[in-house]
Amino acid sequence: MSPGRRVREGLTGWGFVAPATLIVLGLSIFPAVWAFLLSLQDWNGFSVPEPVGLANYQDMARDADLAAAVGHTLLYTALFVPASVLLGLGLAVALNRRIVLVGVYRTLIFLPFVVSAAATGILTTYLFNPQFGLVNNVLRVLGLPQQGWLEDPQQAMVVIALMSLWGQAAFTTVIYLAALQDIPAELGEAARVDGANRWQSFWHVTFPQLAPVTVFVAIWQAIQAIQLFDLVYTTTRGGPLKSTETVVYYLWTSAFKELEFGYASAVAYGLFAVTLAITIGVTIYSRRSTVGGLG
Amino acid sequence: MLRHHPLRSGALGAASLLVTTALLTSCSSGTQGATTLDEDADVTLTWWTGQADQAQTILAGLAEEFEQEHPNVTIEVSSGAPSTEDLLQKLSSSFAGGTYPDISYAFGSWASELADSGRTLDITDQVSDPAVGWEEFSGAARATAQPTGEETIGFPAVVDNISLIYNKTVFDRAGVEYPTEDWTWDDFRAAAEELTDPATTTYGYGYSVSGSEETTWQFWPHLWQNGGEILDEFGTQATFDSEAGVEALTLLRDMAVEDESVYLDQTDTKFGQIFASDQIGMITSGPWSLYDLQTAGTDYGVVPLPGTDGDHTTISGADLWVLFDHQDANREYWAYEFTKWLTDPEQDVRWNVAYGNLPLRESEIDSPEFAAQVEAMPGLDVMAANSANATIPRPTVPGYVNLSEAIGTAISEVLQGKGEPAEALQRAADEATAALADS
Repeated sequence: MSPGRRVREGLTGWGFVAPATLIVLGLSIFPAVWAFLLSLQDWNGFSVPEPVGLANYQDMARDADLAAAVGHTLLYTALFVPASVLLGLGLAVALNRRIVLVGVYRTLIFLPFVVSAAATGILTTYLFNPQFGLVNNVLRVLGLPQQGWLEDPQQAMVVIALMSLWGQAAFTTVIYLAALQDIPAELGEAARVDGANRWQSFWHVTFPQLAPVTVFVAIWQAIQAIQLFDLVYTTTRGGPLKSTETVVYYLWTSAFKELEFGYASAVAYGLFAVTLAITIGVTIYSRRSTVGGLG
Repeated sequence: MLRHHPLRSGALGAASLLVTTALLTSCSSGTQGATTLDEDADVTLTWWTGQADQAQTILAGLAEEFEQEHPNVTIEVSSGAPSTEDLLQKLSSSFAGGTYPDISYAFGSWASELADSGRTLDITDQVSDPAVGWEEFSGAARATAQPTGEETIGFPAVVDNISLIYNKTVFDRAGVEYPTEDWTWDDFRAAAEELTDPATTTYGYGYSVSGSEETTWQFWPHLWQNGGEILDEFGTQATFDSEAGVEALTLLRDMAVEDESVYLDQTDTKFGQIFASDQIGMITSGPWSLYDLQTAGTDYGVVPLPGTDGDHTTISGADLWVLFDHQDANREYWAYEFTKWLTDPEQDVRWNVAYGNLPLRESEIDSPEFAAQVEAMPGLDVMAANSANATIPRPTVPGYVNLSEAIGTAISEVLQGKGEPAEALQRAADEATAALADS
């Protein structure tokens, strides 16, 4: 290959990647760098920004509201991630059979996933309204005590976790379904020939095959969970009594309600650091162990 | 395959959202404008109305009329942002990019931040001309236009206040007599308790506990009527935790926690809808509610807020037409002239009054246009007259947003049975004072 042709090919290559590169640089990298600079400033959006060094990061350590928001986010993550993984696994196993209308069932399971979180949120407020909602009406008919749901600080986060589960379980289900169909049928047949019952063959043959996928969905859902914003925004706005104020919601309030753009950027970077740490940690773990790569 | 929620786009996504507002700070551009005034020179003004639909149509029509009267003036009218709330962000980024408008709508609570930006015009001298009729605007509206007490950054655009709106259907059902304009808060509390009926999920009163400014500003009339003040005379210390404040919050707490007669709304919008569907007896709200009540066909009445010792002080919100400086004498001149013309009673009856807002000046109350609106929306006349009770302005100090957030949280907690009024208010006042010192 002549040098001239190589250069031309190189240029053609760059021509193809340039638009995407520009978009990534302009819409991701540049704002990210800028947000970092902002996190070192005190700025209300109007006045002249004032450099404050690491003061915003130091404030984070002392901020009781932020600590509470971290607590709420962890609670949500602890509720949401195991539930969505288990539910997804269960549904996938149930749908991975030759039964009548399986296509219809699969579509129905996937349907909530396509609904926007805003719509899910509005639906939630109607279903779980303590005075006028459908769920309490059902409880009334059954003679069970009325619940506060989204207006009870103890229950609000659980309701939000339930609603996101309704939408998000479809995601884990689809991933598990794909993984189940990748498992060679001979393995199950061999186990049965060896005298394993259905539970034993699931637990000792199928489940180990699903391990890499389980790690992947758990990480993915955890990263999604610690960034919860939309459902909170459309249902409780962080209430009642800030019991559903998550980190991202808190960040949004700081920036756009309290006009503390510098501090909000610092919080965003704090969150980014946590997400990065989780991802790196799991990647290293999965490379070292027999679990296999993330995909 | 992996779906990406637009709102969940992650920490860096959130950061980039922040940054779009900060973009281009360094490269603000600006061409040299006219240094001496030439009234006949061609001039183009940009006007962000912050309005949509019918309101926007009315304003665009008025701009066109002004252009016909002054052919050398072109006014580029747009909403400026998808919603009035988004205008703040839009203004912030337009300052950075040097593309800010000549005239923009602004919520009163933004006034101090905007004045702080150093990009606003000061029209104090011009509006002192008696022909402007500046003194005819309500005191609260004038104070909002002068957030620092020195510069006047624009004209009042929309004024409103809160009155007591009662649902006649709910009152009749419970056999309770309608509120009168001489009511005290004790009468109010007693009625709310009588109206409340758990069996039919009916509440006497509705109050937002979202902790936003909606929660906060409903509280100020209580504080003021008891003789309390939000800030000390220097505007540096929050004083709402005084005895007057504690007494005010105790009343609301007792209604919410002991009588259980208050529907505590976690959003800012639901209590209005529930009132409209005859499940809440009374709300304290402004003209913007009347339109929805008309649409829903609710049978309602309006009286001024209940009082304390005959003092029926209410709170007024005033939004502004803020004028911005482009270092151009001609644009400055015409931006001022246009806004003055727009807020003149003759034009205001065709805009605010025609749209269903309150008139900017009391003199417009006698106009046939306003009489027609009252016909269509009963109670609007009571609200217009209630402007006389809006004697105290909301503070316009920088840091009010943080103060509002602090006390909004305190009120919301106490009404939901968490904490005691005195202690919660004191904590909020400390927080607010610290925020005031910061900004």
